[in-house]
Amino acid sequence: MDVTGWVLLRAFCRGLHLAGFFSAFGTMFLSATLLHKRGALRLRRLAWAGFAVACLGGAGWFLLQAADFAAAQSISDVIGALPIVAGQTRFGTLLLTRMGLLLLAMLLFQRGWPRSAALIAFGGVVAEAWLGHGGAMTGFVGTMLLFCAVLHIAAAAIWLGALPALYVALKRLPEDALLPLAQSFSPLGMACVGTLLVTAMFQFILLITYPQALFTTAYGAVALTKLVLFAALIALAVLNRFRFTPSLPASRPALLRNIGAEAVLGLAVLLAAGLILQLEPPAMADMAGM
Amino acid sequence: MRVLPLSLAVLLGTACGFPAFAHAFLKQANPAPGSRITSPPAAVLLTYTEGLEVPFCKVTVKSPSGIAVQTAKPQPVSGHADELSVPVHITAPGKYTVIWHAVSVDTHRTQGHFSFTVSP
Ligand SMILES: [Cu+2]
Repeated sequence: MDVTGWVLLRAFCRGLHLAGFFSAFGTMFLSATLLHKRGALRLRRLAWAGFAVACLGGAGWFLLQAADFAAAQSISDVIGALPIVAGQTRFGTLLLTRMGLLLLAMLLFQRGWPRSAALIAFGGVVAEAWLGHGGAMTGFVGTMLLFCAVLHIAAAAIWLGALPALYVALKRLPEDALLPLAQSFSPLGMACVGTLLVTAMFQFILLITYPQALFTTAYGAVALTKLVLFAALIALAVLNRFRFTPSLPASRPALLRNIGAEAVLGLAVLLAAGLILQLEPPAMADMAGM
Repeated sequence: MRVLPLSLAVLLGTACGFPAFAHAFLKQANPAPGSRITSPPAAVLLTYTEGLEVPFCKVTVKSPSGIAVQTAKPQPVSGHADELSVPVHITAPGKYTVIWHAVSVDTHRTQGHFSFTVSP
């Protein structure tokens, strides 16, 4: 496999890890908030499924990243690099700590404490921001990017991460409970969408800078793809809000289909996020010569 | 309600004034790239635009005849996550080339090279 193949595989693992982590957290979050009075609704298996995906994707990401760090030529190079990556790099310690936090959150969730579980998992979710460019840079721009990344990741995790749990809840709850749940999820989703838009704009200014870079660089192309997927997600959410939610419970099948589609698009956005995080932002391409 | 768009605009304007650097690129070096120095350094100090994963950074310093003169792997500089130091043993004058491969804490790899001249 050539370099591009390895980068794509690493991006895929990172995206999968994000998606699993987000959905485990989102399930806890929804259980702790909108579904708090619905303790009988068991979402534990869904949360464990997210945890499993986060572990699997995380393990793949860890191995492939270690191989990349060490510029490994063989399996033994990778194995030799693993303890150094785990103990002496921010990437390794952060990934292991975040997985530890998610495991702890899962155990609390299993015990029936969704609030503390969601809080701890949230820490794991936003810690990912310290692996981005904002976390690596010092000074005003670094702080600014880090702040944006924390908000961006938090909003994405709450909105996209809650979709699988929302789907299951809307499928299982009695008919009279559907409308209140769908109605209370709407403002939450709107707040997340707004946060995502504003933080994306700042990231665009700081990391892409020139609109034409959207069409001339790989980074820009993936950013544009994310934007298009995001627009499609918003369209589905608007449809849910104004068309299917008011006519509940009769529109339950249509609403479920739509939320399912949102979840699939959400996964695609996160896979694209996994890829864009591997690429070089256009704003610094001029620096490459030094 | 007018405060929000205004402060947003100010923030944007401020942000645009600052160049953004992502990935670890060389910000400065000692000896500096292209410089001419009279006494040979005991170490080459590299400062980057981002924090580094020093265990995975590689630096080779080559003498005019192409022999590696670094005496150890890159060392972290305490208190400066964006710096590394490479001990060298330079005995002869001439043009020395520094070839670096860096890994930054954002997990990205970068590389570059420059040279400096020792002429007593
Ligand atoms: Cu980078």
